[in-house]
Amino acid sequence: MIAWRVDPADNVAVAAQAVKAGDVLNVGGIDVIAVSDMPVGHKLALCDIPKGTMVIKYGVPIGKASEDIHTGDYVHTHNVEDITTLLCEEYATAYRRKAAEQ
Amino acid sequence: MRTEFLGYERSDGEVGIRNYILVISMVHCANSVAQQIAWATGAHVIVHDGGCVEFADQHERTYLSLLSAAKNPNVYASLLVGLGCEQTDHVKLIREIEESGRKAEYVGIQEQHGAKETVAAGVEMVKKLQTEAAKMERKSFPVSRLVLGVQCGGSDWTTALSGNSTIGAMTDLLVSQGGSVIISEVGGFPGSEHVLANRAVNTKVGLQIMQMCDELRDDYVKVHGQTIEEVNPTPGNKAGGITTLVEKSMGNVKKIGVESPIQGLIYAGEHVPHPGVWILDLRAPGVDGNATTGFSMSGAVIDVFSTGRGSPLGNAVMPTLKLTGNPASYEEMKSLFDFNAGVVLEGASLEETGKALLEKVISVASGEETKSEINGNFEYLIPRESRH
Repeated sequence: MIAWRVDPADNVAVAAQAVKAGDVLNVGGIDVIAVSDMPVGHKLALCDIPKGTMVIKYGVPIGKASEDIHTGDYVHTHNVEDITTLLCEEYATAYRRKAAEQ
Repeated sequence: MRTEFLGYERSDGEVGIRNYILVISMVHCANSVAQQIAWATGAHVIVHDGGCVEFADQHERTYLSLLSAAKNPNVYASLLVGLGCEQTDHVKLIREIEESGRKAEYVGIQEQHGAKETVAAGVEMVKKLQTEAAKMERKSFPVSRLVLGVQCGGSDWTTALSGNSTIGAMTDLLVSQGGSVIISEVGGFPGSEHVLANRAVNTKVGLQIMQMCDELRDDYVKVHGQTIEEVNPTPGNKAGGITTLVEKSMGNVKKIGVESPIQGLIYAGEHVPHPGVWILDLRAPGVDGNATTGFSMSGAVIDVFSTGRGSPLGNAVMPTLKLTGNPASYEEMKSLFDFNAGVVLEGASLEETGKALLEKVISVASGEETKSEINGNFEYLIPRESRH
């Protein structure tokens, strides 16, 4: 069974098939054991992601862990907070500041 | 890797990959007459719900959309089919089409004293144009002359992972050889504006991207009373595994690859000023046909369309090259798909698959029919920011 890490910096991978708890998923040569069932196309953690730290996919933060996430855990809306607004405001401010300094 | 394709040179210097004849309705009253002329001749028809009793801004968009279709480099000639008393000024339209070097003729229902009579006259005119068009020969051009649209729709969990990523690999390769790629679907940009701004060729363009995303966010609140984050990702997106808006948006912008700088923003009907990656800032609702038509209005000659679940969408003035990132969808719907990017999920490298996609683009550019053409899918949806 396979899961896909899109970017080398990612701490989650996407399951390429429906997964049952206990399934071993190969992620670019490394095995990760799924903690719970999850549908195809959903994400599992490749390492521990402590509460309050970022979930990384496509090499960028996509949200914040709303509880402690452990290796092999199913990662979705139940344990990730969508902080898009905050992230985008921070990025926009930083970009505009950089542009103004040029 | 081929670096040239066989295309048609137009007198204004643009290069097309098809030699289509269009039958364009001037007003909705002439739609079925235009359709009958097209069906009898195999020409492509453009019908719509405008052309009369339109407010100035709405009519301006109707006019621009019809003019842009006729001026696309894939078009040899257009037959304009009017009623006779409509708002659309066919004399001005013919003049502006001819300025681009493309041909245009007109047939009017009131002038011809009836619908059947107009169909008969129109069919003869199209046949004559087809005979002329058949005399044109393809010539060799470098791939730097290609302008593509990149798009996704009918998405599933593979769309971002293998479908859009393969388009991105193709984009990087084509642009490195001097070609042009247009992305739109800008409603999907908020959430990845920082990534896009950092890809901009300079900070001026980066700030324009930021500004566009700010406006899109503000419009959401003004028009719907809700933030974009409140409605996105949708319940369907979440069921498919998308957790946050950043994640959804990043999957969308994978289509422009990772390397090529964004040269700037263009608007409805504008062609790319110079090669590279461009954003078509078209804020019409996110139905797929709006972006496809927007690309063809900006002079794109092929639309490369990633669809996980499968969509037949085509366009009257350019072939749509359909690919899926889902190997199962590819097997189930071979009659819809031109390319299987699902091989990426089965171990093929993204780089090689992107290269194979560019090869397919070059074959299509040189004359190979896409499934959209074989299946007769030739939509043309006038993109409107608002229907009110």
